Amino acid sequence: MREDGGYSFNRWNIFSILISFLAIAVFYIIPPPSGLSHEGWLMIGILVMAIILWITTPIPIAVTGLLIMVMQPLLGVEAAEDVFHSFGNQAVFFLVGVFILAGAIEKHGLHRRMALKFLSMFEKSPRMFTFGIMVSSASLSFIMPAHGVAALLLPIVASILIAMKAIPKQSNFGKVSILAVAYGSSIGSLGTPIGGARNALTIGILANEGIRISFFEWMKYSMPVVFIAIPAVWIILQMVFPIEIENISEAKKEIEEQVGKMGGISRDEIIVSAILLLTVLLWIFFSSPKYMGLAVISLIGSILLFFTGSISWEDVEKRVPWGIILLYGGAITLGVGMSDTGAGAWIADMMLNVAGNNVYMVILSLIMFTVLLTNVMSNVGAVATLLPIGLGVAAGFSGISPLLSSMVVALSGGLAFMFVISTPGNAIAYSSGYFSTRDLMKGGSIVNLSCIAIIFAIAIIYWRGILGI
Amino acid sequence: MVNMFEKILLPISSEFYPRNAMERCVFLAEKFGSSIKILYIIEEKTLEKAEKVSEVYRTQYEKEETDNSMEQKYLSAADRIIFEDAKKFFDGKDIPFDGKVVKGEFSDVIKDEIERRQYDLILMGFEKGCLLHYRILENSDVPIWIESTAEGRKIILAVCSNLAPNQKVPGISIELSRKLGWELHILYVVDTQDSVEVDEMGHRSGRKSEEELISAGKNFLEEMMKKGIKGSMKKGILERETVKAAKEIGAGLVVVGREHKKTGIVGLSFKTVKKKLVERCNYSILFVN
Repeated sequence: MREDGGYSFNRWNIFSILISFLAIAVFYIIPPPSGLSHEGWLMIGILVMAIILWITTPIPIAVTGLLIMVMQPLLGVEAAEDVFHSFGNQAVFFLVGVFILAGAIEKHGLHRRMALKFLSMFEKSPRMFTFGIMVSSASLSFIMPAHGVAALLLPIVASILIAMKAIPKQSNFGKVSILAVAYGSSIGSLGTPIGGARNALTIGILANEGIRISFFEWMKYSMPVVFIAIPAVWIILQMVFPIEIENISEAKKEIEEQVGKMGGISRDEIIVSAILLLTVLLWIFFSSPKYMGLAVISLIGSILLFFTGSISWEDVEKRVPWGIILLYGGAITLGVGMSDTGAGAWIADMMLNVAGNNVYMVILSLIMFTVLLTNVMSNVGAVATLLPIGLGVAAGFSGISPLLSSMVVALSGGLAFMFVISTPGNAIAYSSGYFSTRDLMKGGSIVNLSCIAIIFAIAIIYWRGILGI
Repeated sequence: MVNMFEKILLPISSEFYPRNAMERCVFLAEKFGSSIKILYIIEEKTLEKAEKVSEVYRTQYEKEETDNSMEQKYLSAADRIIFEDAKKFFDGKDIPFDGKVVKGEFSDVIKDEIERRQYDLILMGFEKGCLLHYRILENSDVPIWIESTAEGRKIILAVCSNLAPNQKVPGISIELSRKLGWELHILYVVDTQDSVEVDEMGHRSGRKSEEELISAGKNFLEEMMKKGIKGSMKKGILERETVKAAKEIGAGLVVVGREHKKTGIVGLSFKTVKKKLVERCNYSILFVN
């Protein structure tokens, strides 16, 4: 990246762009295999192009989203009208509302107060304290995007570590504490549709298939994963990086000092809390299609923030990342295009030929593919790539419903634990200097394997067995 | 060569705090009466990495907010961990020191400091990889000491060869041995991969026979013997023989000079000797060019 923030066109970047367009050209020239239309074949070409660009990032990932939208009408895969029609999905506006709400929480420091309150409940021992960090990160990720939680908690936890004189990269307590921020926020982001844009994307693509799920239904499916994964990952971190310190008194002192600096709760914090509570309650009880839907509630919450003067348009400009909306738009049109042209079903068919007729193998393959992809590219991109394939699997396999395959992909898409580039939360946590890329790989690979097992077990026992989805 | 290391620079990256390097600094400062400057470098590339990955997810305002707060944390870490530790280490021993915090990239900052020529020694830690670009090790006029975490015996291994002018290494090693009270052993390697001789000015001769190179080595070791320094000769690949000898004698410090080795099919200079030494040698190394 250049100093002014622009992308520099070094040889590697030019090579990536050329390869991505070459992929499209190859798909354009080579005739489609039997059973797949020319449009479907080209759509797979666009998918390959997007994967190359999302992994190598020679251009911002949001611009790849725009490119996906542009390429479809250019190659005659979908009419421009149809491409942009899917961009108008209500999940886009749900996301806009979520970012405005998160902006208000951040502006008034409500998240900071909540984080400190959570942390102060776990001051009994260093081990419990790291568990507290995981619980705090996960809980905050239920009500705001995971990367925002990582950005909030990192300075708080880092200042506690400094007060405790934990040496960066050498202290296991430091490693576990900071990894708990990254992993806790990632796992927490699975819990509600708010945690990550990939959740909204899944809801949007499912809506296109005529399957509408409410906020509460999402929680019903995802919360068991969160409740099992949080303690499991915490135990793994304790085993991989045994904590060397015994005394937590400095942490207590630091938290007390930070709470003291915050002072009493302000009027704005009370208003934002009330609006947030109202919005969450409306989401839980009235977000099903027969009532208001997710987006309307999200926008009601946002508008109330303006009515009460808790947020200004300037704040929105400062805190709403419009790039993610573009990325989301590209991702959803990719998903819809893959479904409409039959490309997703064709790839799913290929996958089923390999995995055979074993429902367990098919589900496990879907989870593993998604985890692999989400670790090396944007998790929205990974979910957008694999959702249509998951839906294709459901169409071609009687034992798996579209909802089941989508939840498998959506939740697995949040399991990016191994690399710094896997997710913004990992990158933000890495900037603390408390763990190395090797530590992340070491801890992340074990955490990834255990989370794959958790999602697999939940999918088979809870979703398929108990809920019957 | 009075007060060889009058001013020592101890650069510490925000990515890695080598406490053993701080301890070695105290040891050297006591022996040489040195003053110490601690340079804490906030690694910009770490912050940039985080920014790049989260660019679409977070606004510029939010990224700046996080950057600023992380910078504050780094400053606080420098004050409360590094400089507080330094006070404990240096104040008790009456060693003059001061500290400075800069933002940048480790190698760039060191390169600037080398160009300013304000220090007699740069002492740094080593963690899995060297934080410094190897090209700087090749070109620095200021001696660079890379302190390893491995414990060696009180032996200095001074490495000379047919590929180096062998001017500075013996002198500095003798002085170090005298001041530190460590045993000195000179190793002369006849490099069989690059059979030339390098003169005092650093010029390479034409190809020489093995006998000629061995004879030159013997002459060099005899000169050293006259000064009361024991030495040995090895035939083989410079970097490999150095690592092997350091391991055999359990050297606490390996002193290496500027070598002019050229390898490769077409005789291109790959300059990999120092890189290989840093990566393969478990002991502390002092590079004197």
